Amino acid sequence: MAQAAFADERLVALRQAIARLEAQKSQSRFFSGKLASGEKAAGVRGEPHPALLSLGVPSFDRLLGGGLPLAGLTEIRNGETRDIGAATGFTAALAVLCQAESKDRRHSVIFWIAERQATREAGLPDGVGLQAYGLDTSRFLLGHPHRITDALWMAEAALSSCRFAAVVLEIRSNPACFGLRESRRLHLRAQASRIPLLLLRQSGEEEASSALLRLHVCPAPARARIFPEGQALPGSIGNPVFHVTAEKSRAIAPAGFLMEWNSNDRRFYECDAALAPVGPAYSLAELSASVGRPRIEDEMGKVMAFNRAS
Amino acid sequence: MQIARLDSTAEKASLRRGLAIAEARAICPGVDVLPLDNGADRVFLGAIADWCGRYTPLVALDRHDDGLLLDITGCAHLHGGERAMLDDLLSRLFHMGVEARGAISSTVGLAWAAARFSRPDIVIAQGEEARVLAPMPVAALRIDIEANQALNRVGLKRIGDLLSAPRAPITQRFGPEPLLRLDQALGFEKEALSPRLPVPGISSERRLAEPVVTHEDILALAAQLARGVKTGLEKRGEGGRLFQLLLFRVDGRVFSVEAGTSAPLRNPERVAELFRERMESFHDDLDAGFGFETIRLCVLKAERMHDEQADFAGDPDAERPLSAFLDRVTARLGPGSLLMPVFAESHMPERAAVFRPVDNLAQLAPEPVAPAMAPSAEFLPGARPLRLLSPPEPIEATAEVPEGAPKSFHWRRAFHRTKKAEGPERIAAEWWIDGEDAPTRDYYRLEDEMGRRYWLFREGLYGREQGHPRWFLHGIFA
Repeated sequence: MAQAAFADERLVALRQAIARLEAQKSQSRFFSGKLASGEKAAGVRGEPHPALLSLGVPSFDRLLGGGLPLAGLTEIRNGETRDIGAATGFTAALAVLCQAESKDRRHSVIFWIAERQATREAGLPDGVGLQAYGLDTSRFLLGHPHRITDALWMAEAALSSCRFAAVVLEIRSNPACFGLRESRRLHLRAQASRIPLLLLRQSGEEEASSALLRLHVCPAPARARIFPEGQALPGSIGNPVFHVTAEKSRAIAPAGFLMEWNSNDRRFYECDAALAPVGPAYSLAELSASVGRPRIEDEMGKVMAFNRAS
Repeated sequence: MQIARLDSTAEKASLRRGLAIAEARAICPGVDVLPLDNGADRVFLGAIADWCGRYTPLVALDRHDDGLLLDITGCAHLHGGERAMLDDLLSRLFHMGVEARGAISSTVGLAWAAARFSRPDIVIAQGEEARVLAPMPVAALRIDIEANQALNRVGLKRIGDLLSAPRAPITQRFGPEPLLRLDQALGFEKEALSPRLPVPGISSERRLAEPVVTHEDILALAAQLARGVKTGLEKRGEGGRLFQLLLFRVDGRVFSVEAGTSAPLRNPERVAELFRERMESFHDDLDAGFGFETIRLCVLKAERMHDEQADFAGDPDAERPLSAFLDRVTARLGPGSLLMPVFAESHMPERAAVFRPVDNLAQLAPEPVAPAMAPSAEFLPGARPLRLLSPPEPIEATAEVPEGAPKSFHWRRAFHRTKKAEGPERIAAEWWIDGEDAPTRDYYRLEDEMGRRYWLFREGLYGREQGHPRWFLHGIFA
């Protein structure tokens, strides 16, 4: 009898806790976890809902809960360095959308912070290429610091002092000095100043971070160029297509989306599933994933938080 | 080996310039001999010249780098008159361990002569020039050794002899120099000082009774000085583009911290903010030692600044946070850390757009470029990659036909099999830069089996330019 009452009490306590969390979520849907009072004040002041940026692909928007949040940290990562084109393209497309979204021209500057090691490995963004991609390059600033700590300082200064349309922080792999704490700091700054911070992680591992979303971007075969009459030009390489998987999001993520970026219309289009990327024609495995130890997949649901990858 | 420089103790022991070291040791066995190091001497003299900046901004090095010339016109009263100023300067130098002689006079030549050939530390009033100069030897006229010896040989040993001699024969025999120098010393002929450093248009200074050590105190003083500079800038209708903070340490060392801005600036808080970032980037290099006794803020470069009237509704500072941000980053991380794409009329992809440091806010163009004028307008969508590798990386490619797109290639030791290809886009080298025999490039857009898109080129044409053209990977597409 007493035991049943005790169980009841625990159940009620748990229900109350869930109700509290739900209430908090409805108040600020992009806040998770426990909040210190100071953080709360910094995070959501004024309007409770941060603006959302629709990507033009309804199913993907639904996954993001309406669109890309225009405040806070979003992480975009790719697997191997040679895939960096796709991740860069997706990030640049988001930057173009953010730039188009900002009403005031004075506030439409895109600030791209590329740490030196990252650009040494994958090259600098090209001005002509970015312009052809749809970006207004006269409102484009490139931060090129030598060290990661300088890049982080730059990002924080940019978020706290200025009204940029978007800040892109490009780093390579999982540096030790950019862990959960640092990403949370940047995330809160970005939320407080209502600037989207896009973290482009070159060939990085999954890692616990404060990002609202973590998207894994893979390259996907492009469709053929389309003539104005509607015919396809066989053998040609058309608009870039990305295979985007949401690794961390509020909603349950399906396998992935194929999205095509049209730089003339400056928007994404959904691609047919029939064009989904297939594996290589030869059936051998691409590369063994682990080095020095066998890779054993854990059971689903066991991982509470990723370990530090660095 | 002979004596090139010696101090007054050595002079008292009857050593002199030009004496051989062996003789000097025989005369004075305890003599301390150091090898001459002109470079170090010059650096030391430069440091003293910096320190003399506390008296006047016009400090010049002497002709043979063996003395300093200070133009104190209009500065003496700030230091309690000429006599007090000279005494102060020499006593401070004495306490720093420097043996110095000085003289103040109305001309450069006379001061030079008096400091070397008359009783030390003399202030010569105007009108006394000829009287002071007359008993000095002709070497005091800053003439070279041959002219000195020639004059001595004919018995013109003192400057007084020259003063009373007829001018025409002397010019005929010894050239114009001795009399020119004489006229300069007497003030009949003008002589300009060329200062070591450009004189700042506006500067403001604080002398402290108690030296300051901490960064906070220095920055608070910098803010105060910036307020002083602001009125000067306002009067001229200008804003500073380059500020310099001079910190005079107690022991005579002078530190100079410069900070540039991206737009004309006169807001004192922001000037102080700039120096905060600069000082933080120094870490430990700014050694305060026993403290700084004098702090000066100079405006080295100023530009016309358009004043905007503040109104109740709008905020005229809308563009201001961006320039403040640019200044902060540049002050802390250096000018190369913030870049902007600049387009050039070139077909070579690496020259068509280059990143240049942002040093002027006006570069972030206020008006959009017309789409037809944009450099990307001439290309099909997706014809240029998002990332360019610099320099292009050599790859091993296999093409089915010599002039065709590669069927497969190795880049960074990874194998890629081509699925689709577009091209070639032929870009000829720019002979006016690269030379006449620079190879032509054939660019191809390739997509591999996984959908990665790359930009490759073959350097050179088969048969016509090269036997075995090499392949390069130049860019990565989205």
